[in-house]
Amino acid sequence: MTFRQPARPGQRPADRSESDRLLDAARAARDAAASRPGPAAGREDTAGLGRPDRDPLARLLAAAAGPTRPGELAGEEAALAAFRAARAAPAPTPAQAPRRRRLTVGAVAWIGTLAATATAGVAVAAGTLDRTEEPAPPPAPSTAPVSPTDSGPVTPRPTRSDPGRSPAPTATPGGVGPSTPARPGASSADTRAPGRTTGPGHSGAGVQLPGLCRAYLAKSAAQRESALAKPGFAPLVAAAGGAAEVENFCRDLLSRADSGRPPPAIPATPAGPTETGRRP
Amino acid sequence: MAGELNEAVVAAQAGDEEAFRFLYRRLQPGLLRYLTALVGAEAEDVASETWLQISRDLPTFTGGEFRAWTVTIARNRAMDHLRRQRRRPSVPVPVQALSDLAGDADTAERAGETLGTEAALELIATLPPREAEAVLLRAVIGLDAETAGRVLGRRAGAVRTAAHRGLRRLAALVQRHDPPPTAVPSATPPRPRADRSASGTPHVGPADGDVRGNR
Repeated sequence: MTFRQPARPGQRPADRSESDRLLDAARAARDAAASRPGPAAGREDTAGLGRPDRDPLARLLAAAAGPTRPGELAGEEAALAAFRAARAAPAPTPAQAPRRRRLTVGAVAWIGTLAATATAGVAVAAGTLDRTEEPAPPPAPSTAPVSPTDSGPVTPRPTRSDPGRSPAPTATPGGVGPSTPARPGASSADTRAPGRTTGPGHSGAGVQLPGLCRAYLAKSAAQRESALAKPGFAPLVAAAGGAAEVENFCRDLLSRADSGRPPPAIPATPAGPTETGRRP
Repeated sequence: MAGELNEAVVAAQAGDEEAFRFLYRRLQPGLLRYLTALVGAEAEDVASETWLQISRDLPTFTGGEFRAWTVTIARNRAMDHLRRQRRRPSVPVPVQALSDLAGDADTAERAGETLGTEAALELIATLPPREAEAVLLRAVIGLDAETAGRVLGRRAGAVRTAAHRGLRRLAALVQRHDPPPTAVPSATPPRPRADRSASGTPHVGPADGDVRGNR
């Protein structure tokens, strides 16, 4: 080892490479010590790196990376409690939520575009949809003849799930709500919507169906079949109860929609009042 | 080591509490030492915040160097803390706090060992912040230069340079109080720990005194 100390000791380490070696040695000693706690850790030092015992700098680094000191794990139970709490109320993984959201937004925008080509009325909704990508701004109230005061509920078409859902405490049964209010809504849209009767999930379906119907009916008979095979129309097929039912379903839905004001969601739940009542 | 760690990460992500405990025991000492150099006495608080966030965000960890991931969280929490405190990153290590940490070291050997770690960390904490961080991330956290660079948002070369400067500074500090290595009784005792504590105490002792004296 002495040949490793070329000049006066005070000039070590001579270059970056030597520094790297010293640092890596400290790192290796640390890992070895961590792997086998107890007296054996010391033995590892001699076997692998005799240097720490000779060179003060190496010894200093080894000491800095030395074995766990008694007080250092004092927070262990607190950390485990945090771990348990996080598992009990798992925050939706932010890595996935935005992706899903982007997908949803993309699909909705696509449907909106389709719908816009069909009727002017839906075109307005599509414009509003684009805006709801941003969480904060309320959908344009101008499309809602009924109650301009409350932005969300009265315009069932543009109301996607997020804006209506996130502020509602009941929408997050897992108790996740307080931590990250925006995300649970986004990631749990699919799983939670079916269980809800008046929920935004259904109003979300209501958003799409009339537009989808118009788009569907606007197509020529030849195009209709292939259109229904596309994923964008899947909600419509599902809501109609099969591809064969779509036409009747749509005519029925649109005739109801045209007679009333904004077409309700399939379960025919008046979205306005319930949503308003549900709001905190 | 890395394999063990990765297995534990996967198990912890699946909800295995013991795996998480293992991760804590393996990583916390290094995090705490690193944080102590950054925020001094508040290191334990910041470490708690760090583990809170690690618990919460564990599902989002998608692979790579887990130690780098955790130390990045720790560093961010420390920077938040410093912003709140409006303090500069290089805070002298409070000697008293460190002594408290080592409260129940009873045997002389144990005390010598603990003192060695304390004194070493104190010395590193006297370095300019960039150098101290580079040395700690490399030697104590155990990252390579590239990974440390990613944590610090700097090039690997810059980290290597900073670490090298830091080591030279440390060497000078130690040499001032240490006899040259050749003068150290080099008869290796059967247990190097004993050697370190026996010869280590006199070596680090003066350095320790110097650190205190300088402040």
